[in-house]
Amino acid sequence: MSWTTLTRGRLAVPIVTFALVAALLSGTGLSGMGARAASSRSHANVKYGGTVVLDNVGGALWTCGLNPYNGANNFITLGFTYETLVYDDALNGKIQPWLASGYSWSNGNKTLTFTIRKGVTWNDGKPFTAADVVYTFRLLRRNPALDGNGDWQVLKSVSRHGNNVVMNFKKVAVPDFYYVAGQTYIVPQHIWSKIKNPVTYIDSKPVSTGPMVVSKCDQQDIIMMRNPHYWQKGKPYIKELRAPAFLDNGPGNQYLAQGKANWGCQYIPNVNTYYVQGNSNRHWYYAPGSDVDLYPNNSVFPTNIKAVREAISLAIDRRRVSQLGVYGYLPPADQSGIVLPTYSSWYDRSLAKHYNYSYNPSKAIKLLESAGFKRGAGGIFQKNGKKLSLTILGVAGFSDWVAELQQIQNELKAVGINATVSNLSGDTQLSDIQSGHYQLAYYFTGGGPSPYYEMHYVLDSGLTAPIGSTATGDYERWRNSATDSLLNRYAQTTSSATQHAIINELQGIMLKNVPVIPVLEGVSWYQYDTTQLVGWPTRSNEYVNPGCNTPDQEIILLHLHLK
Amino acid sequence: MAVIIRRVEFFLITLWAAVTINFILPRMMPGNPAEAMMAHFQGRLNPAALHALEVAFGVNTKETIWQQYVQYLGDIVHFKFGISLSNFPVPVMHVVMQALPWTLTLAGVTTVISFLLGTLIGMIAAWRRGGIADNLMPPVFVIISALPYFWLGLICIYVFAVTLHWLPSGFGYDEGGNINLSWTFIHQAITHAILPALTIIVTSIGGWILTMRNNMIGTLSEDYVRMARAKGLHPMRIMIQYAGRNAILPNITGFAMALGFVVSGLLLTEIVFTYPGVGYLFLQAVAAEDYPLMQALFLFVTIAVLAAVLLADVANALLDPRIRAR
Repeated sequence: MSWTTLTRGRLAVPIVTFALVAALLSGTGLSGMGARAASSRSHANVKYGGTVVLDNVGGALWTCGLNPYNGANNFITLGFTYETLVYDDALNGKIQPWLASGYSWSNGNKTLTFTIRKGVTWNDGKPFTAADVVYTFRLLRRNPALDGNGDWQVLKSVSRHGNNVVMNFKKVAVPDFYYVAGQTYIVPQHIWSKIKNPVTYIDSKPVSTGPMVVSKCDQQDIIMMRNPHYWQKGKPYIKELRAPAFLDNGPGNQYLAQGKANWGCQYIPNVNTYYVQGNSNRHWYYAPGSDVDLYPNNSVFPTNIKAVREAISLAIDRRRVSQLGVYGYLPPADQSGIVLPTYSSWYDRSLAKHYNYSYNPSKAIKLLESAGFKRGAGGIFQKNGKKLSLTILGVAGFSDWVAELQQIQNELKAVGINATVSNLSGDTQLSDIQSGHYQLAYYFTGGGPSPYYEMHYVLDSGLTAPIGSTATGDYERWRNSATDSLLNRYAQTTSSATQHAIINELQGIMLKNVPVIPVLEGVSWYQYDTTQLVGWPTRSNEYVNPGCNTPDQEIILLHLHLK
Repeated sequence: MAVIIRRVEFFLITLWAAVTINFILPRMMPGNPAEAMMAHFQGRLNPAALHALEVAFGVNTKETIWQQYVQYLGDIVHFKFGISLSNFPVPVMHVVMQALPWTLTLAGVTTVISFLLGTLIGMIAAWRRGGIADNLMPPVFVIISALPYFWLGLICIYVFAVTLHWLPSGFGYDEGGNINLSWTFIHQAITHAILPALTIIVTSIGGWILTMRNNMIGTLSEDYVRMARAKGLHPMRIMIQYAGRNAILPNITGFAMALGFVVSGLLLTEIVFTYPGVGYLFLQAVAAEDYPLMQALFLFVTIAVLAAVLLADVANALLDPRIRAR
């Protein structure tokens, strides 16, 4: 039965299943935390109780491996259970104090000092102290397998001074604050120091500081109950959070459409008809986070020719591509590499206007002609006997990408570029991209709390590698000393003005040289239902990056309460 | 006896070959588990995580492939399967044991039902050739079995779960329910299994009907059936004991294979109905290049199929004197 069914039906692999983690911190970068308290609402007229049902397709039944550090399917509990030192607020550009009540840079931005919050307890009643923070970071140093953020690639030492934790950096790396303070989850020393092997530690009942406590976990359900000892007094308002496991978007979306879940984080085709159904309590909005790019290999023909890259960027009708792939839910990306409108305060409008990369196939053809290409058989351009043909690497399992690349292929053919799409398995594609064995590839970029993070990921030659070796970023093999020094200077400053000036120059490089071609802006999928619970982030009240990002989802949970 | 010893020898050699292929094939796939994990998270993980994952998964190990093979054979003999990489850090046996009971019950019961029912319908259809049963049943079920399972499953959910509210739309048991041996749980498990079971039976029964009907038509023209008729035996006795018993012989091996493959799960059913089971583990293991999980699952399927075929051979030898005589 099974193998025949396996070959008979086409395998459905979740389409963009995971919300992008990219916390989108726009605005002022890392300067100043301010005195804003984490919780400033009055609880006077808020009704307590209610259940949140979170519909976040994980593509697997739960294994209850909730260890925050070993790549387990832990995304469903991060933030709700384990918390970070600060919260990098995705949309208003501010950093909220969290387990640290304050922080400061010193020693030419090479030393970072955190003041650890008092009055926080672990959910087993033991007090949380600076020793736990130091323990967590040293745990990551001892076990490189746990250091998924690469904290110790930049850290030199972490030590405790009374109620403070002092971190010394090997080199000035201000943007790594996001990973060290905003993405590193603090674990309790009194539990973890007794674990023999923290790498294989399952951790099905986390002892954590967060607002929820895991009360039950099996393959089908994770149930979390309100933590009555949570350090933000009076919060959370809701009583229970339930997260059913889904193998695929289809059943996950159906569960949402039936109104059984009130918080969803999936791509839903035709969301207004399928999910909203005219119900005024059902809403969705998708905030853009980081781009999906076409990576042109800068060291092989023909993508090493600037005119070809420019022509590709001009030949793609991004809006149409998005319509065909995902009902237009992903906004068209900007060649400057700035995700809009999320980072519009960083966007150099006049520069973008000057280069003007809006859809223009005739301009693309002209560019290729002036670069010495001549139309050959079938209208395909060629130069010195070499045909302008290339292969685009996609992923067979992502049906949205398959449709998008098919459209891109047609659009490139229309300007005389003979593109063929090769849809591979996810890991084969990644492996080819990392080792540079490709011409053009469709792949994610990395996000972070400012446009710097994506720029760093796609442009920093420190991340790239020779063809045949594994690159961890800059897959297109863009090597440019001016770019590197700009990125380097950004990493050394906490001044917002300097950061903006640098990002402007990087936009110039993106527009002038087209090292990569942003196509669509990845979004955080997010649906919510106000039948019982209110307090959700909305289009007009974006108090947090919506969706199911970690740890951002905790902030949403803390705002929810009964109508 | 000699036949059975020959079958056992064959069983052991096939098992060794399967176990070895099981070791070699996953390692010939491009990429590695750490890269697969990065791809699975779709850009959600920091690029630095690749290094961390490679360390955790023991990728780029210094051991030679030969050392790994010897280690692997030793582990299999001791039923040590290690830690699943796609469900890191849960042990493989735990992952499999969580899914296996669901699969064995659902797939086992539906395979038996659809074999018995299909055989019966096929037999009757051939017996009353050209009758209502023969004109209606085989074509209808063959057409249903050609429908895309995904589509059929979703239609059933739409009709029976969403519109009529007769049955739950998915999962193995009620949301928030507990797995234990109480009547509440068993009741939940049965209600949740009805829809998946129904869809499996109606899509798989066509094959059994068709083969049984065709075998039966062959045997009905045999001389011994004509003789039984001439003797004036009761038609039921002729249909079941004379024609049916001989017509079913070729199907027994097919049935045994199907029982063996029960262990490999029901991938599409599990996806459509969010039903726990082994099928999805297979997909997950292959997609994530989860060698330990893949090895364990393929080993179980191999053993189950080979054992089932062995049993079928033994059963055939007992049922059919011609095999023993050879």
